[in-house]
Amino acid sequence: MKKTELHSIHVELKAKLAPFAGYEMPIQYTSVKEEVLAVRNKSGIFDVSHMGEFFVTGPDAAAFVDYLLTNDFLNSPVGKAVYSPLCNNQGKIIDDLIAYKLGAEKVLICVNAANIEKDWSWIVQQKGQFNVELVDKSSDYSLIALQGPESCKVLTQLSLNDMDELPYYGAVETTFQEHDIIVARTGYTGEDGFEIFIPNKLAKTMWALMVEAGGLPCGLAARDVLRLEVCYPLYGHELNEEITPLDSGLKWTVKMDKAQFMGKDALEAATPKYRLVKLSLDKGIPREGYSILNNEGTAIGKVTSGTMSVSTGKGIALALVERKLFPENKEFIISIRNKEYHANYHTKPFYNGGHK
Amino acid sequence: MAYQTPETLKYTKEHEWASFENNIITIGITDYAQSQLGDIVFVELPEIGQELAENSSFGVVESIKSVSDLYCPVSGTVIEINEELESGPELLNEAPYQNWLIRLKVENDTEYNLLLDSGSYSELCTE
Repeated sequence: MKKTELHSIHVELKAKLAPFAGYEMPIQYTSVKEEVLAVRNKSGIFDVSHMGEFFVTGPDAAAFVDYLLTNDFLNSPVGKAVYSPLCNNQGKIIDDLIAYKLGAEKVLICVNAANIEKDWSWIVQQKGQFNVELVDKSSDYSLIALQGPESCKVLTQLSLNDMDELPYYGAVETTFQEHDIIVARTGYTGEDGFEIFIPNKLAKTMWALMVEAGGLPCGLAARDVLRLEVCYPLYGHELNEEITPLDSGLKWTVKMDKAQFMGKDALEAATPKYRLVKLSLDKGIPREGYSILNNEGTAIGKVTSGTMSVSTGKGIALALVERKLFPENKEFIISIRNKEYHANYHTKPFYNGGHK
Repeated sequence: MAYQTPETLKYTKEHEWASFENNIITIGITDYAQSQLGDIVFVELPEIGQELAENSSFGVVESIKSVSDLYCPVSGTVIEINEELESGPELLNEAPYQNWLIRLKVENDTEYNLLLDSGSYSELCTE
């Protein structure tokens, strides 16, 4: 089992640890509820060092990344990040990621931990004639996510000033204790916050200073609740290699007007099979794998992620439903242990985070 | 951290407690169970009148991120369920030995007497 640089701190804090993508990761420290509320109301810190960091440099860096992604990266200005699926030539989702344009010829790609090897080998294979250099720095970098309305205040106490000037999805290279770091105003909670890429040897110092400044250590359980409340998809749940971005609510990330990109032809011809829906229950908690039925009792799909929502007090779920069976009357039933629960259908996220 | 295991109660390996009085058995979850589960947010209990076999599943307790089955340590008929848990599942975190789950009518105390005593159960929680 792999360990992040911060592992010993999690053990000292008596966090509940569990295997996640080959790493032993903190699931919760004190209480999932407290951790979620800290991020919604103050600030929380997450060790997400298991995630992967690839650097793409050279004259064709932006063009190459733009070719890999379904979303528009070419026209994105320097200093901005773009969220996008990474698709194969059938338009199926290999991963979802954030690409940070740090310079005209320098891009950082942050990928899901479970997909590092798969993504790396795919990206290397696509290099072809592009004039780029690819480096996998996943083992050299730690990643701390600082999330919540008080995040800027915490950074100020670390002498990382002026970060409030960074726009939402902005990214900047700066220094911390005389070392190069990357600060991005991105996250996975719906709140204002930052993701900070740092050399491993700085991780413990930065974590300790953030705790001192009021950041509450938060585990992956709270992170999952937070992302689900604002309806962000998670690879392996809402997204996988069997479906396209059009099946899973990511049409907005597929820019058909781009000249060329991996999977474009397939996506142009594709008829989406599924539709991602947001459902909540007044009583009961939907969980991954539970069946979705229409009001005649026909199975039409499955819950891909479900949890009790701390911020709304309701059971919430994302579910993939077959388009052909999508009920026009918007009546959805979730089957829980052979009992039928009428679900509320939502067109907007369950919770509005306060991000910029 | 030491978990409470009152000596007046009997226990199961599934981290439930039971008490016996006048052929009625009261069942709940232990301090260790509530601590491991974390914030309990939902409890599903059987119907009154339901017959439960020994070791059968009679409901669930759910935390924010997990679902755990409840197992009936004895056979009997459900005569009461703790309705307060529907609106207040967190009571199981606050006072696990005051907030029981169900009460069963049983024929005798034979099955009850086979359950773990406080001492044996405590050892299970420290392993």
